[in-house]
Amino acid sequence: MTSGIIITPGLPDRALAANAKRDRVSEAYLVRIRAVAAIAGVMLAFALVAGQLVRLAILGQGEVSVSMSQPMAIAFARPDIVDRNGQLLASDLIMPSLFADPALVVDKDELAEKLGHVLPGLNQAELRKSLADRDKRFVWIRRGTSTRQAEAIHNLGLPGIEFRNELKRAYPSGTLAGHVLGYVDIDNKGIAGIERFLDENGQVDPVHTPNLSNRPPVQLSLDIGVQHAVEEELAAAMATYEARAAVGLVMDAKSGEILAAASLPGVDPLVPSLERETMDRLSGGTFELGSIFKMFTVAMAMDSGKFTLDTPVDVRKPLSVGGFTITDSHPIGRILSVAEVFRRSSNVGAGMLALDLGAGRQKEFFQRIGLTGAMKTEAGSVADVQLPERWEAVETVTRSYGHGIAVTPLQFAAAAASLVNGGKRIQPTYLRRPTGSESDGERVISEETSRQFNALMRSNVTERDGTGRRANVPGLEVGGKTGTAELPGKGGYKEKSVISSFFAAFPMSNPKYVTLVSLFEPQPIKETSMQITAGRNAAPVTAKIIARIAPQLDVMSRSETP
Amino acid sequence: MRILMIGAAALMLISAFRLYAINYDTRDFAEQVQAQERRLEKIRQDIAILKADRALAARPEVIGPAARAMGLAPAREDQFTEPDVESHLAALPNETREAAGSSR
Repeated sequence: MTSGIIITPGLPDRALAANAKRDRVSEAYLVRIRAVAAIAGVMLAFALVAGQLVRLAILGQGEVSVSMSQPMAIAFARPDIVDRNGQLLASDLIMPSLFADPALVVDKDELAEKLGHVLPGLNQAELRKSLADRDKRFVWIRRGTSTRQAEAIHNLGLPGIEFRNELKRAYPSGTLAGHVLGYVDIDNKGIAGIERFLDENGQVDPVHTPNLSNRPPVQLSLDIGVQHAVEEELAAAMATYEARAAVGLVMDAKSGEILAAASLPGVDPLVPSLERETMDRLSGGTFELGSIFKMFTVAMAMDSGKFTLDTPVDVRKPLSVGGFTITDSHPIGRILSVAEVFRRSSNVGAGMLALDLGAGRQKEFFQRIGLTGAMKTEAGSVADVQLPERWEAVETVTRSYGHGIAVTPLQFAAAAASLVNGGKRIQPTYLRRPTGSESDGERVISEETSRQFNALMRSNVTERDGTGRRANVPGLEVGGKTGTAELPGKGGYKEKSVISSFFAAFPMSNPKYVTLVSLFEPQPIKETSMQITAGRNAAPVTAKIIARIAPQLDVMSRSETP
Repeated sequence: MRILMIGAAALMLISAFRLYAINYDTRDFAEQVQAQERRLEKIRQDIAILKADRALAARPEVIGPAARAMGLAPAREDQFTEPDVESHLAALPNETREAAGSSR
């Protein structure tokens, strides 16, 4: 395109003027055209930019994120569970799970056989059956394999099998504290014990891809070292005394923190069990615990102000009440003090104390110390106390020495701890509390009664007439009470089948910890002079446990004054 | 006017290129972040496995026999004692006792 005046030689002035005018018009036209073109260009460019922005806005968002509700989650990310010292008890791991597409499997027999070599316990017959249906496009072979197994399977080069990563719960400590930890289901959802507690308290996150939880670990009050010592000693005791089962508990007397809770035979958290033999006897079963209940009777009598440790009780004759006759297994034949009633574990003496105070007072006392109410811990509900409605004179007497009332060993221990900790009720817990925390529970007996009661408990271990002598550990001021309860059977109690229990506290000058050991149906053996009483079996087991755990719990041994 | 037009067009072109650059940089960063997140997740998984392995190896029933093999024994209750200062002081000669008493 050219511009400017075109000079044509030889033309007259008029013609030149006309030419000039035409050129001016043409130039203005061109300018307009250029301006329109430029504006159109700019608009087109802006339109392109705008179009690109719209395109990016629609397509350039990356992955689409969809918020899904819990029922559509494929798994549940759980926080770690650690003991009071930070030792790992349970953790999520991302593990490859193996599945097959039967339509793509070439030889199901070869596949089953080869996988059988890599995956122990694989049911090959069941797998062949599942793979036979080629209409199915998805068959789980093993949920959660180890990395090593996954590598070995991959190297087999079998067609039609694949891996999918899944969250799996791992329990590095094996069966240790299995009852307390509980179980998770195949989708990593808690179904029992502490695992269920985590779900119920919103500490578990539903996830759509196998991601580990970002939550901080949940710290339990358990101490792995103490738990191991208790379980090992209980297992040894079961073997020695040929007992069917055993429970053991170590609890902070003041805060209620449970440092060890064992019920043997134990369970593996990876293998949910509903077997009766492996039930949690510590908090899931109620039992008549026998003479160990005399702790409550004597503490109640002392706290009433009507009795002191020296008050005489005439136990020379059997106690007749409501048509029943209560006797002592080893009649003493003389008047005993209240302290001797406790140490010699006299049924007649305990019955007389309870009768003197009355059914109403006993009922109120049991309620006050938390023996008859409902109890719940983080590991789940504790079995309700079995207590028939009738509470007349006979029941008052039998309950004074632990019959006619069935409680879980855990509920018993919590109630008994309140007698030795200065007199305050405690709530057992499996969660770690700040160091030095104490129960703010209601006062159940006076501090003075608690102090005197502790001296009585100690004397039951140190005095010659005490039933708990074999629980003594030099330097650790152990105190405690025995209980040997016959198990109910057809037509009455079975004389040879007993639960022998020993409740202990240490050091008795200022009890820090309480323990409870119960052996179910121990057998008479040579080492116990063919006896099955708690003083012969549960008491020495308690001594072994305390001797092992005291150094772990920083309980210093003290030189004892004779 | 012409300069303004040329300037606007140039600005527009520069803006468009810059927009493209920012867009692709953002995508690059997003990919890097995702890669880092994947790496982080992998490391977290490895840590989880290592922690589980350590817990497995630190079980009391594993450490116990290993310690016995090394000639170690569990702590006994009498090895953790509160020192009986008074009786120790009483056993000391008079002069030493007085010196110790004055320094307490």
